[in-house]
Amino acid sequence: MNLDLLPQLLLAGVVIGSIYALAALGFVLIYKSSRVINFAHGQVIATGAFIAFALTQSGMNFWLAGLLAMLATFALGMLIERVFLRRMVGEPIISVIMVTIGLASVVDGLLHLTPYGAGNFSFTTPAALSGAGIDLLGTQLSRVQLAGVLAALALLGGFTYFFNRSTMGITMRAVADDQMAAMSVGTSVERVFALAWAFAGLTAAAAGVILGLMSGLTLTGLAGIGLKVFPVVILGGLDSVLGAIVGGILIGVLENLAAGYLDGLVPGGGTRDVFPFIVLLIVLLLRPYGLFGTKEIERV
Amino acid sequence: MKRAAALSALLTLSLAAAQKTATIGWSGAITGPTSDAGASYAAGVEDYCRYAVSQNTLPGIKLNCVVRDDQYNNANTQRNFEDYVGNMNASAFLGYSTGGTLQLKSTIQEVKVPTLPGSYHIGNVDGADSQYIFLPISSYSEQLVSLVEYVAKKDRGAKIALVVNPSPFGRAPVDDVRKAAQRLGVQIVDVQEVGGNNLDNTALLKRFESAGVKYVLNQNTAGPVANILKDAKRLNLLGKMQFMGAHYTGGEDLTRLAGDAANNFIWATSYYMFDEADKPGIQLVKKIGAANNRKPDTIRSVHYTSGMLAASIAIEAIRRSKDPSAAGVYKGITSMTGSRAFNPGFTVGPVTFSAKDHIGAESLRLLQADSTGNFKAITGAQRSAIFPLVHPLK
Repeated sequence: MNLDLLPQLLLAGVVIGSIYALAALGFVLIYKSSRVINFAHGQVIATGAFIAFALTQSGMNFWLAGLLAMLATFALGMLIERVFLRRMVGEPIISVIMVTIGLASVVDGLLHLTPYGAGNFSFTTPAALSGAGIDLLGTQLSRVQLAGVLAALALLGGFTYFFNRSTMGITMRAVADDQMAAMSVGTSVERVFALAWAFAGLTAAAAGVILGLMSGLTLTGLAGIGLKVFPVVILGGLDSVLGAIVGGILIGVLENLAAGYLDGLVPGGGTRDVFPFIVLLIVLLLRPYGLFGTKEIERV
Repeated sequence: MKRAAALSALLTLSLAAAQKTATIGWSGAITGPTSDAGASYAAGVEDYCRYAVSQNTLPGIKLNCVVRDDQYNNANTQRNFEDYVGNMNASAFLGYSTGGTLQLKSTIQEVKVPTLPGSYHIGNVDGADSQYIFLPISSYSEQLVSLVEYVAKKDRGAKIALVVNPSPFGRAPVDDVRKAAQRLGVQIVDVQEVGGNNLDNTALLKRFESAGVKYVLNQNTAGPVANILKDAKRLNLLGKMQFMGAHYTGGEDLTRLAGDAANNFIWATSYYMFDEADKPGIQLVKKIGAANNRKPDTIRSVHYTSGMLAASIAIEAIRRSKDPSAAGVYKGITSMTGSRAFNPGFTVGPVTFSAKDHIGAESLRLLQADSTGNFKAITGAQRSAIFPLVHPLK
């Protein structure tokens, strides 16, 4: 066992884990306010990334394209909630889940109709991110990775503050806690739901653009991230932003440790895709609501 | 006058009805895993068929090319194949994936429909049930063994790592590469499977570095290889390790995705490059691509040329036999031998097939990416000397 690799593997894990956390944030935002698990999140991530890519292809500045993509998926999230999810308020949770699975198929199909449905694409790295990176703990981090981590942490921090300090954030938590009670004090549950979906769309585009910049854009890859980060939210707790951060980093680190120390022992490797799930199972056996999720107690 | 016009129309309709139809069906990944290669491949098949129709390559025969997406899913491939053969009476099947082709082997043998896969796995044409399957170019095994020979000549005893796609396509050449390395005195120290979701390859590359790996051989598509190269550049490993790969790893797709991280990547393929403008095959690729309003990236992709090669072989076989049935295509394909070899100009050597020879353009070149993003040949057209010893065909 080569312990010299350990700091590098940990650092690489933190970097990729931060991106996982950002991608997982959309799940948390929606679940935190409406108790809905959005299985179409990966498709929204892909939509945001491809909107930004299409805009840069038409000559737009990368940063402006990223911003417009975030606004576009903000609007898309709001639209999805208004058209599909609002009608499902009060319906059994399995019906709502089926709607999001159906949405995933529809958005996926629509994306396949665009020029980006097939093939592999890559952003032209903006000048500010294309220079030399930094050397940390014996491993080199590119500017793209650093920017990705910073953007992820800024958004995660911003939403943590939003839910803990802002009136709207506390209102959203109240709606998640008890819709009927929130409605009885005059809270617009519809508005809260719409905002949650819109914010989830916004963070999805940010994750998509960062992922696209780091490792290229493919529809399968980007849409697949939605499911890849699912263990992150289960591990951290579906309704916890802090859980998404810790869960993301934990999964990222576990993946890298497995790839660094176990892949060489297993023919063909690939333990990075399995090992985090083993840890996830163990954690869930001990804490079924995740590391930071709310433990719900029903009194009868 | 009216009667003459009616008679003329009737005659035209009768001739059309008497015209034989040749159906060529393609099934591959236009979407889904490996679609970065499959989409361009499909476009190549489609466009070459259009070109053949426009040139009246098959006088008296109506050419019907059908291109369908199977999303790299073997069940979909099987369904498409059954539809082509069962309902459309297909003359030839143009396949794509390794898994799909291997799964269909016994069925292909049973229905006797000549098949030209996009997968260059040697196992497609080796052993039982291989009579009707023909590889358009050299196998993945021969491509990678040629790269191992190149390494062994330069650096005997060198440590090599093999990175392959987690699929039958990726695993196809592993055994042959191991055997060749043993004979040539180089070491395969690690074999790792890496798919299209490789967001970070730090652990993989750092482990290779600590194991003293100097050469990394890839059997994958361009997307995952581009991510490995970008990470290798970030980790300052490009000077310490030489990255190389078989047909589906390289070409314009790789340099477009990896940028300058692809510099010096060594690639084994049988195809001519887009920038070899003096080659008649490449001139034809450009002409057909432009006529069909394809995007520059599609036309530049070697997979567009690959699709054209597969379609051109099937169409040439029908032209030679003047018989659009599957038996006619088999007869036409197996006639491409000796002085009757087929040379559409897409590959560095002619396409030769016979009842015993099921590998078309067997010659290949090693090419290296330069700073302009183009691949330049570093060897002439050649065949691996050791490959027939490593993998004697049954």
